[in-house]
Amino acid sequence: MSITEPLSQTLPNRVIPVLGILALALVWLLDLGTIQPNRIVPGAGHGLLAAVGWTGAGLVAGVLAAAILVSILPLRQRYGLLLGLIGLSLAMMPLLLDVFATRHLPEDSPYARSSIGAGFWCLLFLLSLMLIEILGRLRASRWLQLLLLVMMGGSWVVLLQSDGLESLSLVREFNARSDKFQQALWTHLALALGAVTISAGLAFALALKMIRSPTWQRPLLGAVSFLQTIPSLAVFGLLIAPLSALSSAFPMLQSLGIRGIGWAPALLALIAYSLLPMVRNTFVAITDVPENLADAARGMGMNERQVFFQLKLPLALPVIIEGVRITTIQAIGLTAVAALIGAGGFGSFIFQGLGQAAMDLVLLGALPTIALALLADALLTMLAASLRPTPATA
Amino acid sequence: MRAWLPAVLLAALLCGLSVGMPVLEPLFQWVQPDKQRVIYERESFVFLLQNHLLLVVVSAAVGTIVAVAGGIFATRPFGRDFLPLVSQVASIGQTFPPVAVLALVVPVLGFGEAPILLALILYGLLPILRNTLAGLEGINPSVREAALGMGMSPVQVLIRVELPLAGRVILAGIRTSVTINIATAAIGSTIGARTLGDPVIAGLVNGNTAYVLQGAVLIGLLALMTDSLFEAIERTWDSAWFKATQHLRTEKPR
Amino acid sequence: MIELKNVTRRFGDTVAVDSINLTIETGEVCVLVGSSGCGKSTTLRMINRLLPLSAGEILVDGEDIATMNPEQLRLNMGYVIQGTGLFPHWTVARNIAMVPRLLNWPKKRIDERVDELMTLLDLDPVTHAHKYPQQLSGGQAQRVGVARALAADPNILLMDEPFGALDAITRDNLQLEMLRIQKQVRKTTVFVTHDIDEALKLATRIAVMDQGRIVQHDTPENILRHPASDFVENLVGKQDRGLKLMSLRPVRDLMTLHVAPKQMAPGMEGIKEEDSVRLALSVMLWQDLHQVAVFNAQGQETGVITRERIIQEGV
Repeated sequence: MSITEPLSQTLPNRVIPVLGILALALVWLLDLGTIQPNRIVPGAGHGLLAAVGWTGAGLVAGVLAAAILVSILPLRQRYGLLLGLIGLSLAMMPLLLDVFATRHLPEDSPYARSSIGAGFWCLLFLLSLMLIEILGRLRASRWLQLLLLVMMGGSWVVLLQSDGLESLSLVREFNARSDKFQQALWTHLALALGAVTISAGLAFALALKMIRSPTWQRPLLGAVSFLQTIPSLAVFGLLIAPLSALSSAFPMLQSLGIRGIGWAPALLALIAYSLLPMVRNTFVAITDVPENLADAARGMGMNERQVFFQLKLPLALPVIIEGVRITTIQAIGLTAVAALIGAGGFGSFIFQGLGQAAMDLVLLGALPTIALALLADALLTMLAASLRPTPATA
Repeated sequence: MRAWLPAVLLAALLCGLSVGMPVLEPLFQWVQPDKQRVIYERESFVFLLQNHLLLVVVSAAVGTIVAVAGGIFATRPFGRDFLPLVSQVASIGQTFPPVAVLALVVPVLGFGEAPILLALILYGLLPILRNTLAGLEGINPSVREAALGMGMSPVQVLIRVELPLAGRVILAGIRTSVTINIATAAIGSTIGARTLGDPVIAGLVNGNTAYVLQGAVLIGLLALMTDSLFEAIERTWDSAWFKATQHLRTEKPR
Repeated sequence: MIELKNVTRRFGDTVAVDSINLTIETGEVCVLVGSSGCGKSTTLRMINRLLPLSAGEILVDGEDIATMNPEQLRLNMGYVIQGTGLFPHWTVARNIAMVPRLLNWPKKRIDERVDELMTLLDLDPVTHAHKYPQQLSGGQAQRVGVARALAADPNILLMDEPFGALDAITRDNLQLEMLRIQKQVRKTTVFVTHDIDEALKLATRIAVMDQGRIVQHDTPENILRHPASDFVENLVGKQDRGLKLMSLRPVRDLMTLHVAPKQMAPGMEGIKEEDSVRLALSVMLWQDLHQVAVFNAQGQETGVITRERIIQEGV
């Protein structure tokens, strides 16, 4: 298909116009934001025009229309232009909220707060889809993608710290518990990464055992996939009784903080869950190294140890890292569930918020969890790509 | 027939336990001696099981239809432009933790069954979509070329050749999706769905380990039953389509 | 009869097939030969409309294919490709029955036809009909591919490097098989290959393609004797042409007939009337003979062929 490759850059793009029209429709139909008199009372919604006035609405519509035009006009530098346009719009999106808050927030009520509406989320989502499409067509390298992500994240952080957005309820919730937020972040990371590290060590040993003694393959794989099948809530629940029995029987464990609820059952469950993807990927990766390569190595005088460390392990590493990636993403998500048994982390914001019907507190837990998962995904994908023995084709 | 036996046994055990949980009262009394009530009674277990199953089945059915239709669209000539985006979304979407997705639905749609159902459908269709794309794209191009070249219409190629060949991979996607959704629906208790997660959450809130155990055991059994059901379906599928080549197939990692 | 008139195919700015004209007579085997990327497969795929034309027209028995329903058109053309394209979820019998089933033949007729074709292609229906393609060897799979193409008795057979992925011995066997079948069924065949020897062996006429154009369209013998350009000359092998020409001529042409056919003496070695002159020479050189006996299909010795005659008249 080498003949059609250069064409894809110059041919009109049908995906971006579809997304653009959808975004135009949704951003005009749905509320961009709401104003709440206080934390709990539901607020009044404002559409795009009401929220940011003719200038703001015109700018949003203009950007979307421009994106549609650029994607269908016969341009050589189509995707470069689109990348600039969409990237800049995404980075500037908090400004919309800023304008909205300054226009609508009553001056005299200190409890009033602004929240993000469905229209804003839809616009954010569709612009992100456009960005993904553009990066795909440009065949952007992972480094460029990461750079973009950092730039956008940076601009959001800077903009969200501006005065106008102090009224944003998400920011308020954050400011009210910035200490707790940091603590939650560290707990979340410690639990998830701790579980991944421990299970990586365990899984490596199990995989080696399976390679040495093939009779262990079926029972071991069966056992770890059985663990994976049981839903997380059930595993957390089932661990409570035996662990509390243990801790009341051995006071020493209790002084270490090992109880029926808290970090101990959470960590145990997370390790159990992490085993399947780790063991499977490690085992498959090492056994998939072609035997003729190993024979060649042995034939030239390497001993088994050298074959393993100089040939099999380096070739297997990208697949093993892929296992680590899956495991890490999964562990970050499950740690949020573990908040139900008192393990802390971002999940505690989510469930607290759900209990109090405080939606912005829910967001304060959910958004960082997603961000952590995406970040782990990006970093580990890059790591696996850079470890690939033969450079991936451009 | 023997392939179905574990699923049937587990189903029987699940039904038996959800009907006859009160019989085990002495056992739970021993687990939780300091509580008056040790059997969860706010809703019957049968009702919770039904509701849980209903959520999972409806979301799997809708998710399968939407995902397979989407996968077919993105692999036809008229939808090919969307293929890179759709497959990217399917894989990036799976990076989102299910709890977070569940939590995000509440601010947008509110509490209750309908928002949960929507979240389950949206999240559950991603693995199916991904596998549909992988299954359809994984077909040897010469097979499609031959089918067209011999005079099959595009619809005939899709129905008689592509879907049967991709079916096994799509089925594996449905299995993954259902496994995830059983777990996510259980957590849905926290946002107002009445599922087998209810006793667990209630037990955690009141410090009643007996409730937690009852819910956890039933959820675990439900998951195991569904998993062995899919195991049986996959085996039946394999022996129906590829009688002769079973020995060539190794266990597919999910 | 297939006629290509000023047929052009462009992919973006690249011209894959550049205004070619080609007529393929009913019952002949036309082989398109050229290096990869010369446009030969593209040309073939335009004949059954798997690719649309950028310009020009293609007529099949006088009718423009652009006006025909593509599925109907393809049902009347057998199609064999490299790597077989057999459906892995169907048995051999079901694969062969594909087009008859699309045409709604009665079941009994389909079963008979499948048996007949498997026998024609030297596949035992009892042992192979219910196997799956993955269980066949490469050669067997390609035989099934050919059987599937012939199933509904189409007038035209399109073959796109059908034997390209096979080992040399299997390829040789299938080429001979094809010559035998072609004698029986006489299909108008368009055959694409990059292998000039295969082309010389199978073709009634060869179309040599280079950079999207037909540089020469002629019989194998004329291609060897009078190559139209340096390109063709290199393709057929400048120095090797003598032997290649010999391999085109049957022994029958150069043998000295006996007055009456003799019964073969037991243990006596010889060659067949339809073997090539090249083979006869090779046998004589190897066994250090000056002449060798020639037999007909019934095993009777009908004459002899001598070294001198081959050297003088063989090319």
